[in-house]
Amino acid sequence: MSSNGRITPSSLSIKDLPWQIHWDKERCSLCGRCTAVCPVHAIELGVHRLRLVQTTLGLKEAPSNVYGVYYGIRQKTDPAHACVGCGMCNLVCPNDCIIPYRSDEADKLRYHIDRGGQPRRRGGRRNVPANILDRIKFIRISMLTDPALDAGRHEFELRTLLGRVLPPEENLKLLREEGWIPPVREIYPLIIGSMSFGALSPTMWEGLQMGVAYLNEELGMPVRMCTGEGGCPPRLLRSRFLKYVILQIASGYFGWDEIIHALPEMKEDPCAIEIKYGQGAKPGDGGLLMWHKVNKLIASIRGVPPRVSLPSPPTHQTKYSIEESVAKMIQSMYMAWGFRVPVYPKISGTSTALAVLNNLTRNPYAAALAIDGEDGGTGAAYNVSMDHMGHPIASNIRDCYLNLVKLGRQNEIPLFAAGGVGKHGNLAANAASLIMLGASGVQIGKYLMQAAAGCLGSESDRCNICNIGLCPKGITSQDPRLYRRLDPEEVAERVVDVFLSFDTELRKIVAPLGRSTSLPIGMSDAIGIDDQAAAERLQIKYVV
Amino acid sequence: MPNQQYCRIVGNENGRRVDSRILEERIQEAVADGHRYLEVEAFGQHGIGGRLWRAGDEPVFVRIYGAPGQRAGSMGFPNTHIEIMGSASDDVGWLNAGAEIVVHGNATNGVANAMAQGKIYVAGNIGSRGMTMTKHNPRFDPPELWVLGSVGDYFAEFMAGGIAVICGFGAQDPDNVLGYRPCVGMVGGRIFFRGPHKGFSEVDAKLVPIDDEDWEWLVKNLRGFLEKIGRREILRHLSRREEWQLLEARSPFERATKPRRSMDVFRREVWENELGAGGLIGDLIDFDRSPIPVITTGYLRRFVPVWENRKYVAPCEATCPTGIPVHERWRLIREGRIREAVEMALEYTPFPATVCGYLCPNLCMQACTRQMSNMVPVDVRQLGKASINAKMPEFPPLTGRRIAVIGGGPAGISVAWQLRRQGHEAVIFDMERTLGGKISSVIPKTRIPKDVVDAELERVRKALPHIHLQQRVKREHLEELKADYDFVVIAVGAKKPRILPVPGKERTIPALDFLQQSKQGQIGVGKRVVVIGAGNVGCDVATEAHRLGAEDITLIDIQEPASFGKEREEAEAIGAKFRWPVFTKSITEEGVELTTGEVLPADTIIVSIGDQPDLDFLPETVATKQGFVVVNEIYQTTDPQIFAIGDVVKLGLLTDAIGAGRRVAQAIGDILANKVPGGDKREMIDYSRVKVEYFDPRLTRFADIEECAEECLSCGACRDCGVCVTICPQGAISRQETGNGEFEMVVDEERCIGCGFCAGACPCGVWNLVENDPME
Repeated sequence: MSSNGRITPSSLSIKDLPWQIHWDKERCSLCGRCTAVCPVHAIELGVHRLRLVQTTLGLKEAPSNVYGVYYGIRQKTDPAHACVGCGMCNLVCPNDCIIPYRSDEADKLRYHIDRGGQPRRRGGRRNVPANILDRIKFIRISMLTDPALDAGRHEFELRTLLGRVLPPEENLKLLREEGWIPPVREIYPLIIGSMSFGALSPTMWEGLQMGVAYLNEELGMPVRMCTGEGGCPPRLLRSRFLKYVILQIASGYFGWDEIIHALPEMKEDPCAIEIKYGQGAKPGDGGLLMWHKVNKLIASIRGVPPRVSLPSPPTHQTKYSIEESVAKMIQSMYMAWGFRVPVYPKISGTSTALAVLNNLTRNPYAAALAIDGEDGGTGAAYNVSMDHMGHPIASNIRDCYLNLVKLGRQNEIPLFAAGGVGKHGNLAANAASLIMLGASGVQIGKYLMQAAAGCLGSESDRCNICNIGLCPKGITSQDPRLYRRLDPEEVAERVVDVFLSFDTELRKIVAPLGRSTSLPIGMSDAIGIDDQAAAERLQIKYVV
Repeated sequence: MPNQQYCRIVGNENGRRVDSRILEERIQEAVADGHRYLEVEAFGQHGIGGRLWRAGDEPVFVRIYGAPGQRAGSMGFPNTHIEIMGSASDDVGWLNAGAEIVVHGNATNGVANAMAQGKIYVAGNIGSRGMTMTKHNPRFDPPELWVLGSVGDYFAEFMAGGIAVICGFGAQDPDNVLGYRPCVGMVGGRIFFRGPHKGFSEVDAKLVPIDDEDWEWLVKNLRGFLEKIGRREILRHLSRREEWQLLEARSPFERATKPRRSMDVFRREVWENELGAGGLIGDLIDFDRSPIPVITTGYLRRFVPVWENRKYVAPCEATCPTGIPVHERWRLIREGRIREAVEMALEYTPFPATVCGYLCPNLCMQACTRQMSNMVPVDVRQLGKASINAKMPEFPPLTGRRIAVIGGGPAGISVAWQLRRQGHEAVIFDMERTLGGKISSVIPKTRIPKDVVDAELERVRKALPHIHLQQRVKREHLEELKADYDFVVIAVGAKKPRILPVPGKERTIPALDFLQQSKQGQIGVGKRVVVIGAGNVGCDVATEAHRLGAEDITLIDIQEPASFGKEREEAEAIGAKFRWPVFTKSITEEGVELTTGEVLPADTIIVSIGDQPDLDFLPETVATKQGFVVVNEIYQTTDPQIFAIGDVVKLGLLTDAIGAGRRVAQAIGDILANKVPGGDKREMIDYSRVKVEYFDPRLTRFADIEECAEECLSCGACRDCGVCVTICPQGAISRQETGNGEFEMVVDEERCIGCGFCAGACPCGVWNLVENDPME
């Protein structure tokens, strides 16, 4: 700041910012890579005066001033250019002389990122690192009481069912009478949750799909991926890979005319149809893909003209009651594929989940219920929605499962859990916890961005700029200059690695329980937690 | 001497099964008693034949009839030869440490489990999990398992050594002699097998060719095996080398490479084969999507530098109401072109010395970027004063267009001067006797030497031959002027003093009258003077009153005085007192009576509360508001043929009036040239772009014009210092001549990485880093 510079209420010092750039003058070669790569232009070359006051001992000569100039990397304090801590500068620095550090106290920036009266919006997840799932332990180690299995040696068929599973007598009756039996898919219990083509870059999306195809066709793992609401590339719709795809329909209905046009040319049915009613990261809020992100490619896939903003309202229009919304939508979606494809709704974690579930149990067409908890990620949402709204997934899924148990219909209508699974890198443990709490499978999104593409986002509010299209790893950007940093082939490889290692870890967890062919869904006697209140709430063991 | 007689031990006494513990005791006792040939009638007893170490090095032969229990021969010693005459139960030879065990029938699960030495020969088939956890201790020969038939599922799991031979003769499963999923976790040892298999753990084991040495070993030992089980007759049948295969554990190094199709191959052969070239969206886009580095050049840069030379206006130029590009004049001086620098002023103002050098508060200096860092601004007054010597420019020939300018003050002269510079003829009408308006009539002599004003007015007179003084323009004249001239510009100023509406106001003197008369030496003052209204004019009045002999001078105002700059300083210097807020109630013989009742004694009372234009001569068509002429953004009145500038529009500084004159001249020139009146639309440069850090902050005064020029930051205009060329880490910037002594800085796109160092380092704020053109 210049010495005559005014301060404004939002004049911040570097100390006030959440991330502070540490730069080492001694090691810097002024190569320019850090400033070239910084996604938000938080750093720039600075010109600095250097002053040396030369005074001789004994004051024998008149003291004098010697001025010089040096150059260095300077951090900007303008809130619009506040460092987001992504660390790309550190990544590209050849001399390891620059790195962002998290402020040692609560930043002041949070009071000033509402320029123009716009509250903060961002990507990422709830900025709360803690996660109850991480505290759940698997306490039933069946060494001698059950035939414990060897995770490395035994064969495991870790599969789950997506679709309405009828009680045997009913099923047999329908079989005899040649009635309609709901379609059921046997799939891998770890599902790639809905991330749209548009929210993700083309390279990321293709990498995920390629990895899924590889897992299915080369490794025999029936992994499924949900498109999210952004349509589906026409080539994928007309390929055999469509069977690995769960198509999502949401309140914006983007890309659905292209899907309908592709119906006559489909070689395979999709795995399932997910009707999105809510998202864990921004419960009750819609989405808006800003016009500047709607380039030709996105526009052609979504079936809209380029450069128009694409709103997804918080609710589906023309549906005003749960009966109408669920029954009408499920029926319509079943009809599209001649009642051969399971259709299920996805809601955000909510205290009203039981009401939805009760409705679905009465609807023989409802194939499943997916619930996305408060720790889910998003490409763009209001910070307040992300940090303060939503329901934790653990108790939500548990309540639903126990309700099904009460009705005697557990596992008839599978529950899928999402939202913060693997938030701390404990993917298999979190997934197994949710399964033992009652989920038939889990959906992941953010974890895969982190694991398969090197997403830098964290719950310490690192990076989290997915919403502005400047993803430094090219994961959520539509700018070829950014997304070409990402090689789809390498993403696909990582997807394969993630699923293989998850598979091993999940076996390590379920093998001691003696499970190798059926998932321990709702096997809550196998889990415990060191928190009495949580144990009571989840109806699991309290262990210390 | 060993007794060659078989010692018979029966596992069933009186119809009751002998406990495994008892049977074991009896077998051990028999060996201890010297028996070396044992015949055991087994009834499911556990572990028969193992641990017979009491015989020392002497061989012990154990024949087992009946039904042995689990783990026959377990922990067997090298001296022990066990023959199971029928079939065996689970775990035959468990933890075998050297015994030779022959099974004449089949064996169930777990044969040779954890065997480390010894040999097991099975004349039939075996159950699941045979040969698992076997070891090879380098101190001993490897253990061997021979099976005539086939093996059950999960064979050789975690096999860590030893040799298994599966002959596939009379196999229980002729289609798969190795069973389901053999060799999982196998880390050592070899498996010879004969017959079909249905796969094995390829991560752990691999098929290798059988070399001559292996084959020789196999045939030799096969004979031994067949002799043991009494099937010598099939030796030839089994000795067809091509029927045999050999499995070997992979080394840890080989294990690392999983036999998976590479993603690259998958993409080409499966993914794109199904979807088409270019994959998922190959049909939707036509540009390259191949991976790129993080640091890019050329069109792949996210940001590109732009040399925005003179794109923005320097603060001095932007804030100068006259619009003089002061920094450009300093540049000319730096380039040694002093004369050009001086003369350049006349392009903007006819009064560079009078105004810039003396009378102007120098808004340019106030806005100077150096000021923003508490540094002393470059002194434009030095340059202004030097402009007295500016050579008269050469004017273009007359165009024939004529403009009447009413008022010969700074505004009127400015517009006339500029119109003449365009080649139009301007005719000035002024009602005073002298040209120059306030400059010559009102401003105290102390503020500016007379010869400076005279010299500049002389220059004006030379340029503008048609100046009609003492011509009061009246309303009726205006119509004539409109008819005779293309345009009329009203620049009559504000000369009508505002009157204080209080009793005794007739005792006061209006400030302008006072200043005018004092300048002409036609007025005197008393010792005590009160000036009502403490603005800049009031200050001038105070200074003049002092010059005329006043000793006690007070300026009063109803609010904090708005005076500033030289005028204020000089008034303070002569000891004038300022009082506010005070309100005048009346003027009496004693002086000024305030609303508080206080009386400020005064001999002379001068009112300086501003002046108003005298607009009586204006036609109805020219609208006014609150005593001033209403104009649009190009100073056009509601009569499109009439323009108005200067104090007649809004009270302002001399430079405001001169600037308005310049802009009106531009507008009129544009209109005459049938162009839309435009003007300079450039914005002022953002201070933060200019780097004061290159300059000495302790410099407080400038020795001369040259030093001023050196210290000018040249905001927004390249000073050709070469910092950008030097700082660019890629060496991408070069200076290129463009002819006429001009140059530009050019970026080599294929070198540039868009780091913005040029923008960061540029002293003048010329370089900018902007977003590259968007890519679809």
